[in-house]
Amino acid sequence: MIKEFFTSLLHYFVNIITAVIIAVAVYLTISGQQIDSTMLWQILFSGFITALPSAILVCIDTKSGKVLLMLWLLHFLLIFGLTLVMLKLFGWCNITPVSTLITFGVVVFIYLFTSYVHYLVDRSHVALMNQKLKKRYFKAEYARELAEKAKKSDE
Amino acid sequence: MKIIIETPLPDEEDTVVIRCASPDQQLINMIYAYQTEKTEITGYRNDKITRLSYQDVYYFEATDNRVYAYCHSDVYEVKHKLYELEEIFSTFDFERCSKSMIVNLEKIEFLSPHFGGKLEAHLKNGEKIIISRRYVHNLKIKLDN
Repeated sequence: MIKEFFTSLLHYFVNIITAVIIAVAVYLTISGQQIDSTMLWQILFSGFITALPSAILVCIDTKSGKVLLMLWLLHFLLIFGLTLVMLKLFGWCNITPVSTLITFGVVVFIYLFTSYVHYLVDRSHVALMNQKLKKRYFKAEYARELAEKAKKSDE
Repeated sequence: MKIIIETPLPDEEDTVVIRCASPDQQLINMIYAYQTEKTEITGYRNDKITRLSYQDVYYFEATDNRVYAYCHSDVYEVKHKLYELEEIFSTFDFERCSKSMIVNLEKIEFLSPHFGGKLEAHLKNGEKIIISRRYVHNLKIKLDN
């Protein structure tokens, strides 16, 4: 459980930081601003803080689709709230309706980015597992098919 | 598969010879089943008692302090705890997939990714069950063996 939590934390931290760096790079290119080393540390810290609820969420084991949806919604709102708090805390920008809307867009982008990366990783793992599963039972299924064909031809 | 039964000589021991190119998982399961003999459990459904072979069961699920065996289309109650079933069928391809479920890997048609690192197992009878993230790693190890 603890190992799973720290593995998830590391995965989410790396993914979030990558997405945040992309978002910051786009923003700095458009605005023509420069950043100093303090801001880089602030970005790393904010990545860690937002990765925490993600790592906690994946450790919650629920079968109910409704509960799962609620947890993801709660998770998104928590990430959005934390981002706003950090924007204010680090003085990155003033909290106005426009900046809140932009932050919402950025959080949605980072959320979709990390979800998509996780989906791609899981898909490649699953493809490998399906191959192994198929190989494991291929001969058994093949024998069964042959038996069924033989039965049909006898009839 | 061809089955040949030969009568041994009077002083010879009974022997089972398996001739195949390479044993597949089902054959290995059959050998284990022959050796351990415990391949059946009792299922209860509508006051009827049925002997269930491990090959009939798609998955076991524990709900409300009862354990049920889900077969192709029927559901039977079994008087075993989930951990006991895990032990009974440990030599077969049964794997824990969540806190309350054990799935027969032989009955999985294919797997697909699900939210939060979970997997969805599409069973051969059309049912779908969720494999918790916590048990995905064990499943990977089992498939590697």
